[in-house]
Amino acid sequence: MLSNPIIQRELVGMLRTRRTLVIQILLVATFALLVILRWPSDPRVDLNGARSMQVFRLFGYGLLSAIILLVPAFPAASIVREKQQGTLALLLNTPMTAGQIYLGKLLGVLGFVMLVLMLSLPSAVACYAMGGISFQQGLLPLYLLLMLVALQYSSLGLLISSHATSTDSAMKLTYGAILVMAVVTLGPYLFLQGVTGEEVAGWLRSISPLPAVMEILGQRDLGGQGLEVIAGAHWKYVMLSVISTVVMSFLTLRRLNVRIFDETRAQGVMTHELKGSEWLWRNIVYMAGVTDPQRRRGEISRLFNPVMVKEFRCRRFGRLHWILRLVSGCLVFSCVLTIIGLNFVEGWGVERIGGILVILQVSLVVLLTPSITAGLISGERESGSWQLLQMTPMSAWKIVRGKLMSVVYTLLLLVMATLPAYVIMIYLNPDEMQKKVIEVLICLLVTVVFCISVSAAISSLVRTTAVATTVSFCVLVSLFAGTLLFWLGEGAPFGHNLVESVLRWNPMAAALAAMEMPGFTSYDLVPHNWYIIGSVSLVGFLILTFQTLRLTRPQ
Amino acid sequence: MSEAEPVVVVENLTKCYGDLRAVDDVSFSIDRGRILGFIGPNGAGKTTAIKILVGLARPTSGRAFISGVNCVTDARRIKRLVGYMPDTFGRYSNMRVREYLDFFGAAFGISPKKRRKRIDAVLEITNATYMQDRYVDVLSHGMAQRVGIARTLLHDPEVLVFDEPANGLDPEARIEMRTLLLRLAELGKTLIVTSHILPELSRICDLVAIISNGKLRAFGTLPEIAEQIGQSRMIEIQLASSDQLVAARERVVPWLPEDSQVDISETESLLRFRANLSEEKMNQIIQDLVQASISISQFRELQTDLEDAFVTVAAEDSREVRDGEQSVHVE
Repeated sequence: MLSNPIIQRELVGMLRTRRTLVIQILLVATFALLVILRWPSDPRVDLNGARSMQVFRLFGYGLLSAIILLVPAFPAASIVREKQQGTLALLLNTPMTAGQIYLGKLLGVLGFVMLVLMLSLPSAVACYAMGGISFQQGLLPLYLLLMLVALQYSSLGLLISSHATSTDSAMKLTYGAILVMAVVTLGPYLFLQGVTGEEVAGWLRSISPLPAVMEILGQRDLGGQGLEVIAGAHWKYVMLSVISTVVMSFLTLRRLNVRIFDETRAQGVMTHELKGSEWLWRNIVYMAGVTDPQRRRGEISRLFNPVMVKEFRCRRFGRLHWILRLVSGCLVFSCVLTIIGLNFVEGWGVERIGGILVILQVSLVVLLTPSITAGLISGERESGSWQLLQMTPMSAWKIVRGKLMSVVYTLLLLVMATLPAYVIMIYLNPDEMQKKVIEVLICLLVTVVFCISVSAAISSLVRTTAVATTVSFCVLVSLFAGTLLFWLGEGAPFGHNLVESVLRWNPMAAALAAMEMPGFTSYDLVPHNWYIIGSVSLVGFLILTFQTLRLTRPQ
Repeated sequence: MSEAEPVVVVENLTKCYGDLRAVDDVSFSIDRGRILGFIGPNGAGKTTAIKILVGLARPTSGRAFISGVNCVTDARRIKRLVGYMPDTFGRYSNMRVREYLDFFGAAFGISPKKRRKRIDAVLEITNATYMQDRYVDVLSHGMAQRVGIARTLLHDPEVLVFDEPANGLDPEARIEMRTLLLRLAELGKTLIVTSHILPELSRICDLVAIISNGKLRAFGTLPEIAEQIGQSRMIEIQLASSDQLVAARERVVPWLPEDSQVDISETESLLRFRANLSEEKMNQIIQDLVQASISISQFRELQTDLEDAFVTVAAEDSREVRDGEQSVHVE
């Protein structure tokens, strides 16, 4: 198997990049720092091993985050990049079978994962040496589970890569799918405990590796209420993971033949070419042609920034009919969520429902922003169209403004579509909720501005959209989810003050604290968070402006 | 600016990247409505020189003007005077051809009403009207080149600069491209075209500039170029009978430089050699052959083409490089 040339090429190719080296160094440094910081300095012996367990938990979550964030980037680009570069045709033209090609790519990625896990071994051994951790019930199952997570997400990345038309879209879809699989699947269980559908929701949450890892790390059932704890989460995850990996591998293998090239994009029939009833029906369905994607668009009005209009038109979901669908979806979802929350979940309180809403809104922003912002500048440079923009009389400021506004309008529309739920909350409890909702809205605005600023700055610094998207996702997820790891570890190993200081960097935590969501009431995060995030956003916009100015100037 | 004045003027243009002189003291000028073929080996400095002309790069020294506007100090005005098509198309996904052109029209500040007419006109000129509702990202290479040219014409520039417009085109598309470029010259546009497909260029260009190692080796019409680079003449002597070929070669060789090669084709009864000979020497060769009772049925000089000129310059370059390496070796 090791003689498979693709394994060697994939692995060596990955290891040769500077990016991989940086990732490895950062991981080793983080793990080492974690152990050094929590290494017992107290002369008293910790007989029950609680302290080592605390470090081990943080270590386990850190490893899981690293695998979820870093691993999918490689398989997601793997097939589609070869397709674009023309090397996939050469590979398919060799005597190698589709299975060998697939296995080569999969094992190449897993080789890298093995390396990451091996790099973490010294820190794991240090935790083990502190005592209190079982090798057979703690360390070994954790590593096996992480390997399974890597396998599952790698096969997902390869499947998406085999269907994607560009590296950039493969990256976005893979990270989106992983966010859904790892986080969103946990949602229904929060609502359906004790009512019909709990079992289905329980299985659904088992798609996420988080409950399984929590179980191995000896933590309480995620989102569980009352004393009942659902056991066997890791076995459910193993089963679902193996099944999904097999199915995804099978589907990818079916794509790996000449059919992968035998595709063309349907142009569709333009509406003005239709006649009679067909034309009439189309005009009725698409609001007299206003939202019709097959209608020849009019000229860009003088009132609009042409770059902004171009950005909307270039996005797959940027056309009016798609934006209206997305906005409607968000509107309905937020209202349904609030009504369900208020009517069927007794004892939750408005704060908890508001908190869930905040989490969903922030997730929406964090998921969407890098995918529409990370390509703003890098996409133009990658496709060679930046030179064409440079050749127009438009100023750098006009280009930046057009690009940013296209993202701002999209995100504001989507976030605003989820706001009616807050109106319902204010209606139910006007005295208390009004101030809270205003603060939450400011936090959401800060989140939007921050996410745009970071992704756009990264986009101006790197040459390819795929890298910009991955880095943006990693930075945002690290900030929004990574800082919550400190919150999980409050009391042990982290003190309240440290957790509060860390959470001040997280706009979502600030919004949850403003909403007085249970678990966040003791933190004083607003307005400190606004100042911190506002300053970071300003730096991001300055980087973007400076870089754009630099890029528009003659060489 | 009067019609008689050159539209493009380049004076002592130099561009250095560290120690590398990408463009080295290049000067030339082009009159209105002419087509300049800009040729040279890969890495010769063509694209750098073009980028300076269109305002995308700054020269280390020297000046360049288009219609009297300084390309270096007034890059914004230059953008309205020049239409530039780089060697990459610059695709935008999910955009139809008409929307693509509309965006660039809007970027140039053309009013919506005028833009509509202008898009129709440029699509017509480039024979691309039928593809106006197609997505830009699925256009074939030939189609994309035509849309690229349509884009450069939107703001009606005086000078058009095309970087490798015929690259990757099939023979039919190349003929279409050639016709299109000639049509643009007829419309009064001044064209600067780089290409590696030299026979194509030689058919449409009024002027040729050969650049190599950053230096302008030759500039002018094709006969002028041949003269400038001291290009060898290809001579063919056809005899009445192939029996006299060896004797003829023996009479010709003494007149030629030492390293000259004389080829013989028995089936054609043909003697072929390349040499830089004066008209007087040519006469003497003929007289010598006649005196030796060799029956000549034809004595002709083959016309120099762009490819020959290019090969001569490239050969000179590699000789220079070789000599340079040898002198370094000796030192």
